[in-house]
Amino acid sequence: MNKKLGLLFSTIIAALLVLAACGSSSNKEEENSSDKESTDESTRVIEHVLGKTEIKGKPQKIVTLYQGATDTITQFGVKPVGVVESWAEQPMYEYIKAEVGDAKIVGQETQPNLEEIAALQPDLIIATQVRHEEIYEQLSQIAPTIVNTTLYDIRETTDLIGKALGEEDKAKELMTAWDARIADFKEKIAAKGNYPLSVAVTNYREDHARIYVQGFAGSILTELGFTEPKNLVGQNLEIVKLTDKESISNMNADVIFQFMEDNAAVKSTHEEWTKHPLYANLDAVKNNQVFTVNEIIWNFAGGLKAANLMLDDLYAHFGLEQ
Amino acid sequence: MKYWNMRLFQSKASFQLSRKWLVTLITGLLLLLVIFMLSLSAGSNYVSPIDVLRQLFNQTDEFTFVIETLRLPRVLLAILVGAALGVSGLILQSIVRNPLASPDIIGITSGASFGAVLFITLATGVISMAFLPLAAICGGLLTASLIYMLSWNKGVTPVRLVLIGIGISAILKSGVTFLLVFSDTYIASKAYIWLTGSLYAATWQDVMSLSCWLLIPLPTILWLGRSMNVTELGDDVAISMGIRLQRQRFLFLACAVLLAGSAAAFVGGIEFVGLMAPHIARRLVGRSFIGLVPITAIIGALLVLVADLIARTMFLPLDIPAGVFTAAIGAPFFIFLLFRTRNR
Repeated sequence: MNKKLGLLFSTIIAALLVLAACGSSSNKEEENSSDKESTDESTRVIEHVLGKTEIKGKPQKIVTLYQGATDTITQFGVKPVGVVESWAEQPMYEYIKAEVGDAKIVGQETQPNLEEIAALQPDLIIATQVRHEEIYEQLSQIAPTIVNTTLYDIRETTDLIGKALGEEDKAKELMTAWDARIADFKEKIAAKGNYPLSVAVTNYREDHARIYVQGFAGSILTELGFTEPKNLVGQNLEIVKLTDKESISNMNADVIFQFMEDNAAVKSTHEEWTKHPLYANLDAVKNNQVFTVNEIIWNFAGGLKAANLMLDDLYAHFGLEQ
Repeated sequence: MKYWNMRLFQSKASFQLSRKWLVTLITGLLLLLVIFMLSLSAGSNYVSPIDVLRQLFNQTDEFTFVIETLRLPRVLLAILVGAALGVSGLILQSIVRNPLASPDIIGITSGASFGAVLFITLATGVISMAFLPLAAICGGLLTASLIYMLSWNKGVTPVRLVLIGIGISAILKSGVTFLLVFSDTYIASKAYIWLTGSLYAATWQDVMSLSCWLLIPLPTILWLGRSMNVTELGDDVAISMGIRLQRQRFLFLACAVLLAGSAAAFVGGIEFVGLMAPHIARRLVGRSFIGLVPITAIIGALLVLVADLIARTMFLPLDIPAGVFTAAIGAPFFIFLLFRTRNR
């Protein structure tokens, strides 16, 4: 009996190994076939993180599958035909509504509706690896799909969209303008002295608080020359979740920008945390340098226009002339 | 009530079937067919059942992408997953002789979840997501082996199996929570979708791979099926009847793990089907194990299929994870059955 059992067991294991091997190796071949035709000037091959995509002419019907792409593509003067639902002010952020126009909502960013996308018959889809890696094959069957690696890196998004639209010059122009604004801001804030300032971007939730050290706002603030919260220097953190009020001191910085959802539970968390004695010890609180900012612009949107609006906020808060 | 005795393979497999069973089976299959057609028709753009048939039999190419690339694999995967989860639950409830046993409770699903969430948190953007099912199934198999080994004490008894399963399951669930708390928000949201269980973006490759996985347990269940009726009477009775109890238990357990683990690997942690489907089947056709297998499979398939149909059509343009609805569909029906048969 034991021999039989062993035989059965090893057969099962062998079968499993074969299955596992055949399950995952078969979908890589198609991508390499489209290398040659880049001589034809209306056809461009764009390399991105999940492969190479061939785009013919200038795409007219574009579907954007993450907030940052929807925002950024409008800066090229292009109205997408399909976009994903926003995280707040559903289905579309107010700040971008006019520029996006009446694009169709194709579901949520985390699970966009493939049938809706297909029904729009787009000629370009802009996706991101962190959300859409699993559906890349299917998206590519609907239309040429280009994929960004992150959600909120405006430089990468702008560059990729520029290439996909065949408007590299416009992309360069947008980025040059952005760089010029950054340089201007840095110069003016340095002139005010006390530079560089440390900054904490805080966020309150129903049951905890967060510090966005990196992320959209954090990475832009870093570019602008601000430094990390004082007690988190050099730790290379992205988002710190604080579940205990004793860790409030992690928020310590010269300036605090806070944002939160507009609901009662979140407001009461905020009240509890700010009443705590440790909160009063924070440098920003002592010097009255805590500013409430728009959650959508500072966190959810993740595109070039939002970045510029965020920079406007910063000019205003620090009393700098633009 | 009329009975038929079926003997297959020179009486190696035999079972008794009633007319009620046959009627239930045929009704179930018809219902499945109706909802199958409905699922292929419904969606963002409605395709009439006649056009669906024309597309399926290659009379037209108009709907190739929507029907053959998007809907058909998704619908077939729903059926396979539902059947696998249901039968897995049936096997576990029979081995353990406890109506509350299910792949979710005794640790198989939590093992697969832990494997998947670990993979999502560590490998997003580093390793191709095509390996996610493999991570999930390894998690499920390793956890099940661990539970089996820890339960071993001159053989495995159901009570030890359940208690150790629940213990390991709790540890793994806290492990999953730990991973979620320490990961970035966008990775956590990806993991949450997996944990809820979603048939979103099913491909033909998923359907093929899962069918391969399900081919392994099927003959084993058929072969050992008739001994299960005896085992349900208790270990002592089973041994005195000449059942090789430990061997049978091991093989059945392996089948249950393969069924639930591979289903979880492809669609994530759809809960409740493994618990509910066997109960509904038992209420409908009685207790013969072999007779219950196909009925449970059909009911499991129906639960997942209807859940996914609702999830992807009721809130258009949103496409919601099917796992949100599996309980919402099965539970009322189950309570109705309990209520109707309460005085028998």
